[in-house]
Amino acid sequence: MIQLTDVHKTFTVKDKRTHLKKRIEAVRGISLTVKPGEIYGLLGPNGAGKSTTLRMIAGLMQADQGQIQVCGIDTLEKPEKARSVVGYLSTDLNVYGRFTPRELLRLFGEFQGVDAKVAERRGLHLLEKLQLLDFADVKMEGFSSGQKQKVSIARALLHDPKVVIFDEPTTGLDVLTAKTVLDLLRVMRAEGRSVIVSTHVMPLVDEICDRVGIIFDGELHGDAPPKQILETWNAKTLDEVFFQLAARSAAEV
Amino acid sequence: MRGALLVCKKEFMELSKDRKTMFFTFLMPVILYPLLFTMMGKLSQNDEATRKNKPSRIVLVDPGHVVEPLLKADGKAFEVVVAPSGDVKQAIRDQKLEMKLEVDADAATKLEGHKTFGLKATYDKSDDSSKLALSRLKETLQKQDKAWVQARLKALGASPDLAVPTKIATEDAGDMGLFVGKLIGGFLPYMLMIMMFAGSMNLGIYTTAGEKERGTLQSLLCTSLPRNQIIWGKLLFVFAVGIISALFNLLSMGLSIGRVISGGAGAAGAAGAPMGSLSALANPVTLSLTFLLMVPLGLLFANFIVMMGIQAKNTVEAGTAIMPGFVVVMVMAVFSMAPGIEKLAFLPYVPILNVSLAIRKLFSQQGNPLEYTIALLMTVGLAGALTWLSTRLLNRESVLFKV
Ligand SMILES: Nc1ncnc2c1ncn2[C@@H]1O[C@H](COP(=O)(O)OP(=O)(O)OP(=O)(O)O)[C@@H](O)[C@H]1O
Ligand SMILES: [Mg+2]
Repeated sequence: MIQLTDVHKTFTVKDKRTHLKKRIEAVRGISLTVKPGEIYGLLGPNGAGKSTTLRMIAGLMQADQGQIQVCGIDTLEKPEKARSVVGYLSTDLNVYGRFTPRELLRLFGEFQGVDAKVAERRGLHLLEKLQLLDFADVKMEGFSSGQKQKVSIARALLHDPKVVIFDEPTTGLDVLTAKTVLDLLRVMRAEGRSVIVSTHVMPLVDEICDRVGIIFDGELHGDAPPKQILETWNAKTLDEVFFQLAARSAAEV
Repeated sequence: MRGALLVCKKEFMELSKDRKTMFFTFLMPVILYPLLFTMMGKLSQNDEATRKNKPSRIVLVDPGHVVEPLLKADGKAFEVVVAPSGDVKQAIRDQKLEMKLEVDADAATKLEGHKTFGLKATYDKSDDSSKLALSRLKETLQKQDKAWVQARLKALGASPDLAVPTKIATEDAGDMGLFVGKLIGGFLPYMLMIMMFAGSMNLGIYTTAGEKERGTLQSLLCTSLPRNQIIWGKLLFVFAVGIISALFNLLSMGLSIGRVISGGAGAAGAAGAPMGSLSALANPVTLSLTFLLMVPLGLLFANFIVMMGIQAKNTVEAGTAIMPGFVVVMVMAVFSMAPGIEKLAFLPYVPILNVSLAIRKLFSQQGNPLEYTIALLMTVGLAGALTWLSTRLLNRESVLFKV
């Protein structure tokens, strides 16, 4: 279960040219719920606030305002406990190149409080599903970005998290691997986990998401099954919804 | 604390995969000191020995043959050579000979008539061998002068003692061991500090800004490990690296001194210099007390490095931020080597400097318990305060996600 209530996040950045401080309201009052056994898709253009939202749910960042709960645990009050039920994946995250996947998985098992043996077994099982078992004992320094991403997926799911957060999980993966990942997500759903993914790939959303939310300028538009969204916006594809939103925001300015 | 230990373990696992860094951080000092001591010993011994054993080559112009027999009598000290073709001064500068000596042509007559005769020595003041030739000549002449004066007194029927109103006997109270101790104590704090800082600096940057740069820090942050434990783990690692490096330095130094003592005992003993007190340097107590001082200092360094490292966006920026600290430590270390520095009254109260001062005194066996305690407590206090500050500062999201 993931529950966001009126979540805000503002960054302050400095403009190098004018030397003025600039406030970026990356997330402006987002509320959403992801139930167990549900895959929620976050859509939105670059810089819309998807990653920021997911980072806050994963406990990497703190919300300025509002409340976030994972499995009923408040991420602000009990950050460690909240993080222990979350599996987070993002292309920003890299693997430790000096380790082999097996070493990395054992280590992260320990970090997550999972017995090293159990962690290794579970990790290797995941690697097998992702067709990377042959590389389990090879230093990751020379891995391709897709291979690294696979190890990251295993790392994220190692501790059997009830909440799965995947930020653009299929970026950099070939169609075959992408399909494997999607299958994995379906399994997660079947196992009753709450899954939230962000993506730019519309067909992916159509295929696996039970519900989608479109983020535009830090605000959530529509929070419904893909079909229903298309109906409300009177559009044929989700891309079209995007264009409409962009046009509307341009008109507002 | 479990989390911090786990993170620290991870850092050491990563380090263990990097043989080169391991070598330069830990093994280098082990090789460095024996090499340094052997070279220092060889150099000073060799130089002295060859100069002392070789006779000084002198071009002699002595028509009256007054000085010639004196020089020839002492074949160990002098060798009369034929003048080289060309400029004699240039030949001296080229170290083809040590000195040119010209004796007055009428020296024999003057000597007989009890008059002063002159000699002119041409030598190279900047060259040790040439200077040695002059001092040898002066010594020989002094002895001969005395003999001549005594002969004259005797001829006059006076006591030969008239020529020697005083006679001084000397005894060397200096202690070779103490001397070497002062020498080592002078540069050891410098070596220790530099090695400790440099060693932990590289690894410190690697595990802080480096992790940010490589994108691995986030994977650590999204585990259930508490943030401050991650910071403590990194701190512990950087601290441990510094401490291990200091320990290796001290051990290697202690062992090499031990070898110098046992190996050099014969030679030094023969020269009459007691080396006994040198063993005080290789003494476990001295080494342990020094190590004890290095512990809080290491924590201080580790805090500084981790604090700068995590706040930086990348490794280059981290290097830029840490470098001034390194320079300060280096300047302080060099300053602490300056002679006579231990007499400055405020020094025991200057952090870092007081540590090197205390180590210096330990090695010259002038250890001052009060100053030692002040240095220790001050460093412990500072390290503690900085640890508190860095945990508070680095726990902030704006630091961890600086872009
Ligand atoms: N650590 C940070 N410091 C300052 N600004 C940030 C930070 N993280 C995100 N932002 C800003 O917040 C806004 C939202 O960024 P975010 O990464 O959430 O976008 P996104 O929807 O994931 O975009 P993309 O599709 O490109 O990944 C952007 O304008 C970004 O510049
Ligand atoms: Mg993003």
